[in-house]
Amino acid sequence: MTSAHEDLKAHAGAYVLGSLDAEERTAFEAHLAGCEECAAEVRSLGGVVEALARAVPQRTPRPELRERVLAGFDAQGRARPAGRAGSASQWLPLAALVVLTVGIGVYAAWLQVRVAVLEDRLERALLQAAAAETAVADARRVNTELQSAMGVLAAPDLVRIDLAGQTPAPQATARALWSRARGMVFTATNLPPLPAGQVYQVWVVPAAQPPISAGLLAPDPAGAGQTYFSTAPDIPPPAAVAVSIEPAGGVPAPTGAIYLVGKPGASS
Amino acid sequence: MGLLAVVAAFRRDAGDPQAEDVECLRRLAAGDGDAAARLYDRHARPVYCLILRIVNDEGDAEDVMQEVFAQAWRQASRYDPSRGAVAAWLLMMARTRAIDRLRARQARPVADALGDEHLDALPAATRDAAADMIDAEQAHRVRRALEELPLLQRLAIELAYYEGLTQREIAERLEEPIGTVKTRVRSGLLKLREALAEGQS
Repeated sequence: MTSAHEDLKAHAGAYVLGSLDAEERTAFEAHLAGCEECAAEVRSLGGVVEALARAVPQRTPRPELRERVLAGFDAQGRARPAGRAGSASQWLPLAALVVLTVGIGVYAAWLQVRVAVLEDRLERALLQAAAAETAVADARRVNTELQSAMGVLAAPDLVRIDLAGQTPAPQATARALWSRARGMVFTATNLPPLPAGQVYQVWVVPAAQPPISAGLLAPDPAGAGQTYFSTAPDIPPPAAVAVSIEPAGGVPAPTGAIYLVGKPGASS
Repeated sequence: MGLLAVVAAFRRDAGDPQAEDVECLRRLAAGDGDAAARLYDRHARPVYCLILRIVNDEGDAEDVMQEVFAQAWRQASRYDPSRGAVAAWLLMMARTRAIDRLRARQARPVADALGDEHLDALPAATRDAAADMIDAEQAHRVRRALEELPLLQRLAIELAYYEGLTQREIAERLEEPIGTVKTRVRSGLLKLREALAEGQS
């Protein structure tokens, strides 16, 4: 039971993202109903999902849309109440409840709280406006790069190229996902640490043409690195993709030892 | 009830956007058109932005907005606060409808994981009821954390959430074992959760 629980708990993230298959979801929900630990995991990941929903480029909807959407409400045939609900009528029941429950002294205290709350909300609104500005600029920048990379994965002409480690780095592996129209996503793992003053450089090698630089690769301490290469429209499809070690800043044509190489259709 | 508890309760009721939203839904269910307008004004922007991000077309985004709010009017009386904030409820409906639209446009079959019954099936909240609402600053922090994830983890999460792909579909597209994709989704989400928690502590 324990290992089944661990397996199912690992589904919590995909569940809140809505990316489980039908049968996985059914199994997870059946488990969830009786497992407080998994329910807590789902709740705690919910905030991340809401943040993802809000971490998108900000735009103001057209004012015409408001009328259209609200017309949909009226069309559902609901009766509009005779009285208009203003802010006074909204607060009166609360005020009455306060008076009835604990008397007039608390009502005064409540009014003070109300003022504090309004001030607090104003402050938060100002703070959010400032944060939203930064978020918009940030999201625009990230979005361009990310949507390009996602475009590669969604491209109909996607080609996968697996690269194998060569003599200087037999443990290294890499994968290039190439689309002529959309660009190339390149990921590598197990790259050895670089000597000082050296960098890894990625090369696209078209048939019967000199290699084209696809950018520099900066692996993390564990030897993993990734880069996105935006292809020029006239670039021919690669006959091979390779990684060499080069002087810092990169070079126009490969000079150093080849660490990784792969061809389309060849499995590593 | 002690005086302090009463004041605290009213402070919560008076200043909490969630309490105001719940009141909106209650009046909406009673047919109050002003409450409909109020709910729209409070949430239209984030809901619209999420839909637009997913469908990437203004005309489609406006159609989906209409569907989402129509669904909110219809289901106002069925909203259950124990399942999460009204804002999160609206965003979840927006995401579901937008992905449906995206799949219809791409002639992809609608994933079984989506749809109204999915919303109803959600257990006690996708949100921790005790947590505050996600504000712009928190969303910004998660966006930055997403940016710092290894590229393939980030793509897995983005493909799942904004493109509506199941893990299996992501694995097929990348020609990778589904286990690898699952690990990426999970590790990525846990890192995003850490980033979110940093700001809350």
